[in-house]
Amino acid sequence: MSKQEHKLSRRKLRSSYFTTIVSIALVLFVVGLMGLLLLNAHKLSRHVKENIGFSVILESNIREVDMIRLQKNLDASRYVKTTEYITKERAAQELQEELGEDFIEFLGYNPLLPSIDVRLFAEYANPDSVAKIEQEILKYEQVKEVAYQKSLIDVVNKNINRISFVLLIFTGALFIISLSLINNTIRLTVYARRFLIKTMQLVGATRRFVRGPFILKSLAHAIYSIALTYLMLGGTVYMIEAQLPELSMLNDLDTLALLFAGVFVVGIGIVYISTRFAVNRYLKLRSSDLYF
Amino acid sequence: MHRKIMTDSKIIIRLKNATIAHPDNVVLTNIDFEVSRGEFVYLIGRTGSGKSSLLKTFYAELPLLRGEGTIAGYDLKKLKTRQVPYLRRNLGIVFQDFQLLTDRSVYENLLFVLKATGWKKKADMHKRITEVLEKVGLGYKEYKMPHELSGGEQQRVVIARALLNNPDLILADEPTGNLDPESSEGLLRLLLEISNNGQAVVFATHDYNLLNKFPARIVECKDSKLIEYNNQPAAMPNEDNPQASDEEIELL
Repeated sequence: MSKQEHKLSRRKLRSSYFTTIVSIALVLFVVGLMGLLLLNAHKLSRHVKENIGFSVILESNIREVDMIRLQKNLDASRYVKTTEYITKERAAQELQEELGEDFIEFLGYNPLLPSIDVRLFAEYANPDSVAKIEQEILKYEQVKEVAYQKSLIDVVNKNINRISFVLLIFTGALFIISLSLINNTIRLTVYARRFLIKTMQLVGATRRFVRGPFILKSLAHAIYSIALTYLMLGGTVYMIEAQLPELSMLNDLDTLALLFAGVFVVGIGIVYISTRFAVNRYLKLRSSDLYF
Repeated sequence: MHRKIMTDSKIIIRLKNATIAHPDNVVLTNIDFEVSRGEFVYLIGRTGSGKSSLLKTFYAELPLLRGEGTIAGYDLKKLKTRQVPYLRRNLGIVFQDFQLLTDRSVYENLLFVLKATGWKKKADMHKRITEVLEKVGLGYKEYKMPHELSGGEQQRVVIARALLNNPDLILADEPTGNLDPESSEGLLRLLLEISNNGQAVVFATHDYNLLNKFPARIVECKDSKLIEYNNQPAAMPNEDNPQASDEEIELL
């Protein structure tokens, strides 16, 4: 009978640990989801920004060699992501398709100029940098003008900034909430054992000796929680991939690795710090203060 | 490190002009108190008279407010927080509410203390645990959980725990408070035997029957002072003494 009781109390203890592990895992899952959101928002804003660009309109009599040299120079600069040469003929063809009218026949000649379409890296796709880059390109004598929609760059940048700001505040708040939830969970686990901590001190154990096992056990729980979180996050990523293949998350393994590493660091870090603080708190209390 | 200052090695507790206080009230003022090695001392007094506070001062759970105090070679006035565990290793403490680690077996309770106090070899630890459990008559219960034992048995585990490191001094804070009369007597016989082996015992109690049955030095906490009855049976409070009946009313 006593063996049964023994088993029962062990099982009760284990189920309370199980609850702790699951609660921590759920909160870490929320942290992971936020990370996923932030990382993809970054990717999305990059994608949008790198689609903004400008056309470098060239003189109509430009020589092939000069054009190629100019394109090479642009490609070599640190701010250009891609360049594309658009010949007079191709420009005419594109415009024709857009207008649905054969304007060359109508005019009798091709009034369009050859150009180079330039796409910038996300870091340079803001109004200030674009203005500077424009000045630099205008120095080439074969360049007639640099054409871009100033307002479009402004609007895109403003909106991205605004959305990122809101997202950052939102995820920041959620992150702090998550940390305090994990901290509370751990403090409760330690609180439940506060009398044990006192007893251990009374029989001559040093603070470090009392703290050690608590921290080790907490870290073990954290690792279980993190494993559980990985399962949930993995499932989520596969689900998103199935629904929104255009995000192509699975192709960007570096980002996912960064996310999983982040969850690991946050999980271990907060559990370690919370446990240490919680145990220290009860190590410092007088036994008469333990009853509150 | 945790070296103690050596004084007169025959005296294990020495308080001089000591004032003992909780943060908000003074319990004992200007008391002098000495206990020698191997001595058995009853500490009596009403609840709230300061018995527990005095014992707490001995094991550094309560700081000494004023005066001088030396316990097992440690100067209470100069004691630093990190030295407290080392002082406690020279003491064995027995509590009314046992204070066993309820999440582990009797054996693991004792093992924890040995590991906490620097024992390393498994075989030595096993031997020592078996020895102390034999001594308190619980050799066959080592794999029980504390809650599976009776109150008397749990208290004997606590005494076994107190004996593990062969302390010079055993502090017992109303250890019989939760026990029936037979278990109480058994416990007291055990502690007397321990004191006969050279370990000092300070035994705080409410149980005046024990005082009569097993006479020894008696010290009473009363009106913020300590009163010595120095083994004089006539002066001892007993059941006919009004003091004693007060105690009994309180116990009810």
